Amino acid sequence: MRNWVVTVTAALLLSACVQTRQYADLQFTPPEGDYKLLVLRPDVSVGSLTTGGMVEPRADWTEQARTNIIAAVRAQQAQRGGKLQILERRNQLTGASEQEVADFERLFYAVGNSIVLHKYLGDYLPTKRGKGLEYTLGEDAVRLGQKTGYDYALFLHAEDEVASGGRIALGVLGAAGCIVGFCAPNIGGATQLDYAGLVDLKTGEVVWFNVVQASSQVPGIAFGDLRTPAGATQMADRLLNRMKPGLAIRRAAEVEKP
Amino acid sequence: MSCPKCVALSRRSLLVGGGVAAASLTIGMAEARVLPKDMVPLVGPGYRPTEKDEQGIWQLMDRAEEEISGSNLLIQDPKLTGYLRDLIGKVGGPAARDFRIYLAHIPDFNAMMFPTGFAVVFSGLLLRMRNEAQLAGVIAHESGHFLRRHMIRSWRDERRKTDIFAVAAMAAGVGGAAGGVYLGDYVQLAQLGTILSLFQYSRAMEAEADAIGAKNLAAAGYQPMEMSTIWEQLIGEEDASARYRRKHRRRGSLFDTHPSDQSRMVDLRADAAEVTEAGKTYEIGRERYLSMIAPIRSMLLDDQVKLNDPGASQYLIETLAKDGWNGQLRFYEGEVWRLRNRHGDDARAALSYAAAVAYPDAPADAWRWHGISLMKAGRTAEAKSAFTRYLTMKPDAADAAWVRQAIG
Repeated sequence: MRNWVVTVTAALLLSACVQTRQYADLQFTPPEGDYKLLVLRPDVSVGSLTTGGMVEPRADWTEQARTNIIAAVRAQQAQRGGKLQILERRNQLTGASEQEVADFERLFYAVGNSIVLHKYLGDYLPTKRGKGLEYTLGEDAVRLGQKTGYDYALFLHAEDEVASGGRIALGVLGAAGCIVGFCAPNIGGATQLDYAGLVDLKTGEVVWFNVVQASSQVPGIAFGDLRTPAGATQMADRLLNRMKPGLAIRRAAEVEKP
Repeated sequence: MSCPKCVALSRRSLLVGGGVAAASLTIGMAEARVLPKDMVPLVGPGYRPTEKDEQGIWQLMDRAEEEISGSNLLIQDPKLTGYLRDLIGKVGGPAARDFRIYLAHIPDFNAMMFPTGFAVVFSGLLLRMRNEAQLAGVIAHESGHFLRRHMIRSWRDERRKTDIFAVAAMAAGVGGAAGGVYLGDYVQLAQLGTILSLFQYSRAMEAEADAIGAKNLAAAGYQPMEMSTIWEQLIGEEDASARYRRKHRRRGSLFDTHPSDQSRMVDLRADAAEVTEAGKTYEIGRERYLSMIAPIRSMLLDDQVKLNDPGASQYLIETLAKDGWNGQLRFYEGEVWRLRNRHGDDARAALSYAAAVAYPDAPADAWRWHGISLMKAGRTAEAKSAFTRYLTMKPDAADAAWVRQAIG
């Protein structure tokens, strides 16, 4: 009896985890003080994880989460001293047309996918080894910066799957099964995937990229629910607040120390 | 101890036997024809979702439409897009005014309807359609998916079945462990059954869309038999394509999302007979269709011959030529041979180019390739006059300097 209690407890403890890994351009210094930041429309989707394991998109939760994320990012950036605009629609940017904003977003989406593929998913490129983050959106990004007067552009993506009541019940059944020797508490529960990319509009380069992945194998264990302001604040904190300078800058700082 | 292998064998045979049983059941039941008269629209004009799951899908699809409508793959010609909009307005039933329709430059036979009521038609479809009734038939089929609320119905079906499967699998595991029996094989069988029934549901919906499509097509005054002809043409094309590659055309399987081409052709023929009213005349609209796609037809043919699928390309060109050969079709027939480049193909291509230039609508490139063929055959004087004709038609051609030099 004692054995399964230990096993189940260990399984529950181990099965929820939050991972984050950031990459930066070698020469990157996090923006501080007097900078102008453009935040593109946050790409948010929140859904419910059904009993059978499908994700059911929810319009109301998604809207709620987007509102919370925008508020959290606004509050956070206010502390850093920068001026910021968060786009809620593509036609809100003075100096650039809706089509230009759409093209810019799509370009970042393509480059962002490459970054995720080659930096996070294991298809590492030998030509990019040891170079930090070496990706650019090119001249179009520079032109957008000149037209609109912003120094940086920030892209945000968040997807959240909330375990439904049925999924939680199924997990409870699986955990209960441990008593009779069929132990399946870790069928997969809530999952959150967020990423952010910062583009320097003076050079067009993607200077910083971060991915936060939070998941729980056991339905019913929740973390940072984006539907609540507290969850969105936690997400903005994990994703954006621990921006590290690039490797070259950090090494130089170490050398300067006595 | 009895041999463990025997147990494994019996389990496997149980699985195979059960799988076959489930499979034959699926085939036997799914293929009954859906009758057009039973197909009433499930949405009225200006439909908006009221339930949470459907609202979620709509929000996602609105984002998809934002991306698709701004995609640089779209053909934006207002005359053509207006034409497609008019057609969906005729065959779209009660939601006719709510639909949006986009034309994508993709050389494939395809069209799709999204759950919020916007459709995407591939340019390859326009190449294959021989008249307005056929194109309207495809659009009527796609509209049928929206009118019968297929996306949300299949989503709910899938959710329900995976829910049941998950609970049953877990219960079998826990219950089996409590009772000391291993039920894993039954769980696998149930999983196969769940998957098969999902595909079956999908095929049933395609059959519904065909049936309601035929009904709306006839109601709009188009010849409903043309829908069946589309499948006849597609079967012919796939056969020709496979034959060239020394393969066989893919037949239907249990894991198909759509019913087989053959069964759709046969069912649509019966549908057409059912919806046709005696004494009423039905329109084909070939001339109007051809004049509408005339500005892009050479682009469509050019896309097709470059797909490296000579079997299909040749079949397509011959099918289109059933409505009459012209210089454009003869020229692209020559292109199929030239690009295939097997022994003797240059001679066949030369014949096609020579035939093409006999028509008043022969494109400039037909004269160019006709000239090159003549040159190869040593008929220099005739080649020069063909090149001269080419330069008259296309004075600023990229290769004009080379051609002038060849004329001498």
